[in-house]
Amino acid sequence: MKLLSPRERRFLENRLRSLYGVEACFNALILIKCGRRRIRAATKETMELASRLRGVQQLGLYVMKISDGDISLSVEGSQLLDGEIKDNVIELDEEQVEKWMKAIPIKTEKTYRGRYVVGKFNHLYLGSARVSRNGLLYPQIPKWRRIP
Amino acid sequence: MDEHEVLEMLKEKGVSFKKIPWARYGYVVEDEPIDLGKTVEHMLGLIYIQAPISMVPVEVLNPKPGEKVLDLCAAPGSKSTQIAQLLDGLGVLVANDVSFDRVKALASNLQRFGVLNVIITLMDGRKFPRFARECFDKVLVDAPCSSLGIVSKNWGIARSWSLELAKRLSKLQRQLILAGFDCLKPGGELVYATCTLTVEENEMVIQYLLERRENAVLKEIDLPSLRYRCGIVEWDGMKLDEELEKTIRIMPYDNWAEGFYVARVSKEGGS
Repeated sequence: MKLLSPRERRFLENRLRSLYGVEACFNALILIKCGRRRIRAATKETMELASRLRGVQQLGLYVMKISDGDISLSVEGSQLLDGEIKDNVIELDEEQVEKWMKAIPIKTEKTYRGRYVVGKFNHLYLGSARVSRNGLLYPQIPKWRRIP
Repeated sequence: MDEHEVLEMLKEKGVSFKKIPWARYGYVVEDEPIDLGKTVEHMLGLIYIQAPISMVPVEVLNPKPGEKVLDLCAAPGSKSTQIAQLLDGLGVLVANDVSFDRVKALASNLQRFGVLNVIITLMDGRKFPRFARECFDKVLVDAPCSSLGIVSKNWGIARSWSLELAKRLSKLQRQLILAGFDCLKPGGELVYATCTLTVEENEMVIQYLLERRENAVLKEIDLPSLRYRCGIVEWDGMKLDEELEKTIRIMPYDNWAEGFYVARVSKEGGS
């Protein structure tokens, strides 16, 4: 686990702005790199206490994954940016939400900028889905939290 | 999304429930036309399903926003998520467990619940005071036990139970409660809980703590509308500390739910 450098953070903020129209993101939070492409968010106080402990496995919340400059937001990552996400959002109906949470591909007619879109149902954000060239959205819901 | 909005979403699906009077965010499901564990609300972490009596220890611990809280035996995370909810994003929760497999389940549950202010550690809880002495405002020791309180759910527990098992676990529980107590700041509070009914794993563990730590003081527990009885102070011809009456035993037939033992201990010396 390593803190994001100011340069890396700036890059991330710029990408979030251009992909999702997010102006202010994770301002009061610390962003941590874990693994090669995954980012977690935590509070400052949490980080301070973690530096004192042993056997730390995880810190805070997994919020996003970066792949080739594109950003895939986790369910919680998109909910943390609640109200800030303006672009690349798809409004889902009840039937599509079920599909989304089962990670079943969803057909879309619209074209999107970037390789990922964020799903939204009422006031709930449901993380990102990968947009394929054949007009299908592949929700990035991890296996352990899919509806069986 | 607040509590009432979530309840409305569930009502629309035909789920009916009743508020638990002693648990701030607890509801008992009365009619469940759908499997709640397979709903979007559950997968998004808007609800968490657990047995009602399991909520007692955290209600007794009463974590407040801004506090540093240690859950020493945290997996799979039912009580950790409850603590996180009461902390409301302020303060820090340290959720520890000794088993790697169980820590994975703990991490999944805390992620699903969206907890930002959490540290998950993998280690033997008995070693915690080596680097976190007097570090926490509240400590929960939900100790591994012989689980006699949940026999009604799993009859196999009764078949494999023995006095030797209870005594062996009691040794571990004594070490865990001492470790948890040493991690408390002066003025802090510890809650010890098990889902078993043997005196060896409950009152005798608390008695052990009281004998070894002079600044450990038992506190009264008050949970309205929950049926429970006082801790045992005389057992097998042996007189235990009278203060143990302040601990509580919840018998399975008291509330037609699981059996639990809960003790609330404070560390004297704070302001």
